[in-house]
Amino acid sequence: MARRLKVANPARCIGCYSCMMACARTWYDTISLKNSRIDIQTRGGIETPYTQIVCHACIDPPCMRACPLGALTKRKGGGVNLNKEICDGCGNCIEACLMGAIHLDAEKKAVICKHCGVCPKFCPHDVLEMIEVEDSGEVKITDTGPAPETSPVSSTASHKDLYGGKELGEEK
Amino acid sequence: MTTEQYAIEGLKNILYIDLTNQSYYVEERRDLYEKYLGGVGVAINLMLEEYKEGTGPFDPEMPVILSTGPLSGVYPTCTKAVALFRSPHNGELGESYAGGHLAMSMRYSGYETVVIKGVSQYPVYVAIHDDKVTFRDASSIWHLSSAIDVGKILREIEPGAGRRSIIRIGPAGEKGITYADVNVDTYRHFGRLGLGAVFGAKKLKAVLISGNRELKSPEHNAYRKTVSMLYDTIVKTGLTEKYHNLGTSENILVLNELKGLPTRNLQAAYFEGAETISGELFAEKYLLRRVSCAGCPIGCIHVAMLKRAFSKAHEYEALNISYDFELIYALGSNLGVADPEAVLELIDACEKAGVDIISMGVVLAWATEMQQRGKISTNETMGLELSWGNKAAYLRAIDLVVKAPNEFYSALGKGVEYASQKYGGEDFAIRLGGLEIPGYHTGLGNVLGLSVGARHSHLDSAGYSADQKAFNQPISDEQIVDYIIDEEERRNILNCMVSCLFARNVYTYENVILALKAIGIDRTEEELKELGKDIFRKKYELKRKFGFKFEDLKIPKRFFETPSTTGKIDEERVERAIELYRKKRGV
Ligand code: SF4
Ligand code: SF4
Ligand code: SF4
Ligand code: SF4
Repeated sequence: MARRLKVANPARCIGCYSCMMACARTWYDTISLKNSRIDIQTRGGIETPYTQIVCHACIDPPCMRACPLGALTKRKGGGVNLNKEICDGCGNCIEACLMGAIHLDAEKKAVICKHCGVCPKFCPHDVLEMIEVEDSGEVKITDTGPAPETSPVSSTASHKDLYGGKELGEEK
Repeated sequence: MTTEQYAIEGLKNILYIDLTNQSYYVEERRDLYEKYLGGVGVAINLMLEEYKEGTGPFDPEMPVILSTGPLSGVYPTCTKAVALFRSPHNGELGESYAGGHLAMSMRYSGYETVVIKGVSQYPVYVAIHDDKVTFRDASSIWHLSSAIDVGKILREIEPGAGRRSIIRIGPAGEKGITYADVNVDTYRHFGRLGLGAVFGAKKLKAVLISGNRELKSPEHNAYRKTVSMLYDTIVKTGLTEKYHNLGTSENILVLNELKGLPTRNLQAAYFEGAETISGELFAEKYLLRRVSCAGCPIGCIHVAMLKRAFSKAHEYEALNISYDFELIYALGSNLGVADPEAVLELIDACEKAGVDIISMGVVLAWATEMQQRGKISTNETMGLELSWGNKAAYLRAIDLVVKAPNEFYSALGKGVEYASQKYGGEDFAIRLGGLEIPGYHTGLGNVLGLSVGARHSHLDSAGYSADQKAFNQPISDEQIVDYIIDEEERRNILNCMVSCLFARNVYTYENVILALKAIGIDRTEEELKELGKDIFRKKYELKRKFGFKFEDLKIPKRFFETPSTTGKIDEERVERAIELYRKKRGV
């Protein structure tokens, strides 16, 4: 079974940066917002809603096609795997991704979401979720019943309802 | 403590900015950070170094010190920066805290502490981008009618979106209203004691700071574990639920039921209109979204949407306004305003002007009572009739206080202590230590906390919590004094870190020690407590230098007349408690 990150409820974002801190701390051993693979942006200060910029796991990734060195290969479940050894920092992939989800780190290596599942564990507001997908990256259709109410009984309503509910595990 | 033990990066620099000749330099002060950790600990020492006997709040040499601490930008809900200055409002120690993006931006810029001195010849704003500091002529944004708009403009001009903080003043700061605030990233403020007026006197319209540096913990795995533990404690236990859910405005109904909600200039402590200005009502009818300070998963900033018609042809404007308990007390119950939309409009007017809303509310409440008692007339108010619940009159009054068209309004712009000395009505000018009171009338603990507190704020020691304890089961006055002393020290320590006080029950001594340890700083509980005491002594040293004397402390009669949560407060009992506090504290 393959999984990928999904920005499920963008409008619920409170701009806490917990996801960015978690990604940077997990993959770059750093305390900062730097090199987080997800980027929380403000378009008009905190007066306007936040946007979450992150790889959305293309089924046929243009970034991969754009890479002249073959540093990017298809990931099971959509998106790409990066071979850091090969990447020379040309930045072609950055151009190819309309999401703006790629940047280069200080060593001039591409920084792209691995769909590892850490950041959703640090999102207090159910903005980020891991979803199950086909190995190809196609979204699996599992729910066919009526859409759930977004009421206080919904599991995605507020972290109050998560107390004692689904466990937010230790980051790996 | 050796430098080797101070393994976390940063925590060494002080950025000195001189507005007079538009210059700056950086000094390394590891000694200060190592001994005092950061935040108020570092700032209070710098203030003692900088302060020259006899310098007034508006004098060029008088510094503004902004400081963050070792946990800022590192752990969840450690989101505050402290500002120290000499208050133009009461002449005493000016100490104020603000969140938003400021602490994270400062920490990641590599300047954990910034000292601003001098006076510019013309309006300027200062932009700090990592290690570059620039001064720009701000004359074109001076005189803007709204502190909110200043942010909108600078956001377009300056880089660093999402990694920066913009702190700025509104017209009240420019005009020297002694309780002008500094707006931080639109929804947060250095609210109390008039930092905005100090900015104005320095001709400093705004400071923008952005930073994108990295910090490294010497023990990354320990750090990761500690973050997870603290995150879970904040998000998955009930410890911060109050702030996450209804927010501080939950207290409106709670305090009202306890008969501790100052109403109509504290003529009563119960407001019959509380239901319609309750946190519950605001949440149900107006809450649009909640947002967070950078690095905090709680999201306590409650933003309301007010839809307002401006023509009969169904034309509307939508205002986004953040609300909190203190604001609803100050512009709601204490002005007899029971209409929630009126409260929001009044908040909005104050936000644009850039004033401390608690002080403004109390000033207007006092003026209303003065007029009702015939102690002032429409001669002073230029024809305006103030009356409880009268939104239109209060909106105009806010405007007039800031514009100061005559002597009376100009007196109102100097606070209720000044105005009541001039026009009378001191017995019902509800302030302590020259600062207008927050929204509690709970009993001895509250009055004592506000009287002895270093900045006369409920945030010094939360004396109302002592009253709450006393309400539930009788405790002695000495226990109340002890509670306040303990709480003052604990808060001094948290204010070195600098955590948000809404997470004070998460950052217990145990957890603070753990959090510090995971970034390579070793401290024992005893050492931390000693630090808390040390800071207390230094605050009082400064207060003495600024001219504070217990003998001058005036407690208005109103406090003793209106019954509180814990019953009528006896004047002599308060005096005895203050004596006891002084004896225990040696001040
Ligand atoms: S980085 Fe961009 S282009 Fe590449 S897979 Fe992700 S979303 Fe698609
Ligand atoms: S930056 Fe690296 S991954 Fe991106 S296209 Fe160039 S070589 Fe390929
Ligand atoms: S899924 Fe993993 S790699 Fe992708 S943004 Fe979240 S933490 Fe970073
Ligand atoms: S953790 Fe969730 S709520 Fe916080 S910034 Fe990230 S997406 Fe937004």
